[in-house]
Amino acid sequence: MEPSFEVVWPKSPLGMQARRPAPRLDTLHGKRIGFAWDYLFRGDELFPVLAEQLQRRFEGVEIVNYDVFGNLHGPQEHELVEQLPAGLARHRVDAVVSGNGC
Amino acid sequence: MLRASVACEAAGVPTVSLVCEGFERQAGATGRGLGFDKLPIAVLKGHVDAQSYDDMVASFIEHTVGQIVSGLTTPIEWDENGTAEPCALDIVASGTIDEIHRIFVANGWSDGLAIIPPTRHRVEAFIAATGHDPWRVLGTIRPSGRDVTVWSIAVNAVMAGCEAVQLPVLLGLADVLLDPHYNVQHSGNTTGADAIIVLNGPVIGDLGFNHGPGAMRDGAGAPNTVVARWLRLFLRNVCGFTADEHDKATFGNSSRVVLAEDEEALAEIGWEPFAATFGHPAGTDAVTVARMNSGAMIGSVFGSTPEQIVPYLADGLARITGWDLTHVYGLGQGHYRPLLVLSPVLARIFGRAGWSKAQVQQALFEHARIPAWRFEKLVGDWTNLTAGRRTLVDLVGEGVVPPVFAESSDPDRLVPIVTSADKLLIAVAGDPNRTNAYVLSHDGSHGDWTSKAIDRTYSDDLVCRIDDRPKP
Repeated sequence: MEPSFEVVWPKSPLGMQARRPAPRLDTLHGKRIGFAWDYLFRGDELFPVLAEQLQRRFEGVEIVNYDVFGNLHGPQEHELVEQLPAGLARHRVDAVVSGNGC
Repeated sequence: MLRASVACEAAGVPTVSLVCEGFERQAGATGRGLGFDKLPIAVLKGHVDAQSYDDMVASFIEHTVGQIVSGLTTPIEWDENGTAEPCALDIVASGTIDEIHRIFVANGWSDGLAIIPPTRHRVEAFIAATGHDPWRVLGTIRPSGRDVTVWSIAVNAVMAGCEAVQLPVLLGLADVLLDPHYNVQHSGNTTGADAIIVLNGPVIGDLGFNHGPGAMRDGAGAPNTVVARWLRLFLRNVCGFTADEHDKATFGNSSRVVLAEDEEALAEIGWEPFAATFGHPAGTDAVTVARMNSGAMIGSVFGSTPEQIVPYLADGLARITGWDLTHVYGLGQGHYRPLLVLSPVLARIFGRAGWSKAQVQQALFEHARIPAWRFEKLVGDWTNLTAGRRTLVDLVGEGVVPPVFAESSDPDRLVPIVTSADKLLIAVAGDPNRTNAYVLSHDGSHGDWTSKAIDRTYSDDLVCRIDDRPKP
């Protein structure tokens, strides 16, 4: 008869406590929408389209463009992501669209 | 981009993350690993780089914009308890060795090769032999957000077939993975680079690592093979790099074994070990790791002087370098550091001529050049990885790359593949009498060279009082 083994889990516990996502907005009318970009995968072509679409569909939408926050995937990723909250506050951003993961 | 979204959510600002089709599960896993489950995503159909502008915009408006609006305005159902998971000492499977193998493969916990079943007894014995506290947390790893514990290192070491005496090497490797400079979270990027581990110090001889014939071949040296396999299993099980979560490699590379340097040859020619480049003096046990995209042979090198062999070695470095140039600037400024592995007989040609390693690097820097037009095509035309389609002349003007990249505006001028000579790294290993070399291209900031000393002193944290310790 072959021996039997009882084995333990090869993963490890999650070290991050689960956090509640930010409350969603009730409407996009009159809101300031920030764009956060990793400077990859044609964001420079898609974000202007998104700005136009949002402004067409929702009255008073203002856009805070991605160049305000810098390249969030490049060599300064750690520093710029850390600075994001201050940038959002400074520009009174209500919501963010970030991209692109491809 | 989930990392940016998480920073916004933590600041109380709702987000939607744009991902191409096929990245949905990775996006969810990345959010979870950073503490935020179920963050909204909006999917770009197909891959934008393979679409015409008109097709891309039409698809974006039809399929994606609505998801963006919904993601910013639809409340998220959130469960603060998350998903229940096993504890470290829980028995998660039982059965014969074949049954354990099948269960581990089915759950994504194994690479498919045979494993040593990680029974509690085996793991405890492994740790007891080293004296380490099993519940010591070395840090929280990205992108999974899981704790790196001595226990988790040992479980995967048992599975890989490691011996307890190798644990200090594994602890050094875990330190590398936890160092933000290494950027382990990029280990599943689509271009599929895999790590190379360079080993230095007396540990090579003491633990029987192979630095001779077959130095980079799977199975040629048992310690080289199992330690590298541990890294793959640890990346899978603790860091989260499985196809279900964070591994998005289109093809990937075959795994690489530990590359142990031939320190006797180095001492003979008066060169410092590889780890000295990263601050570890000769005689220090150290692991140095980076993620490498591709490798190529420089075979049958002919010549008895440095002047004769440098052009061919430099040609190998230039030949292996392609889209990786985005790590000279763009994705990572100055991070591109390819590796040239010289066999001892080739290294001795430089030694005989009295050349220091720095002199070799300088000579390679001057010879390993490509036409400027090819550099620009690779990063901003054939790929779309440098926004704005800037030329090297533009980048020199902006101070992003050194003046050597724009000594003229002639597109046929030859430019370097790295920003300075010291970024061409050299190691010495392999069959001592064969005239071959090997080159590896580097994934830059997506797994940047990171080196850690190995501490082989016996730990008195614990003499296996595992039952006395609080259990996770």
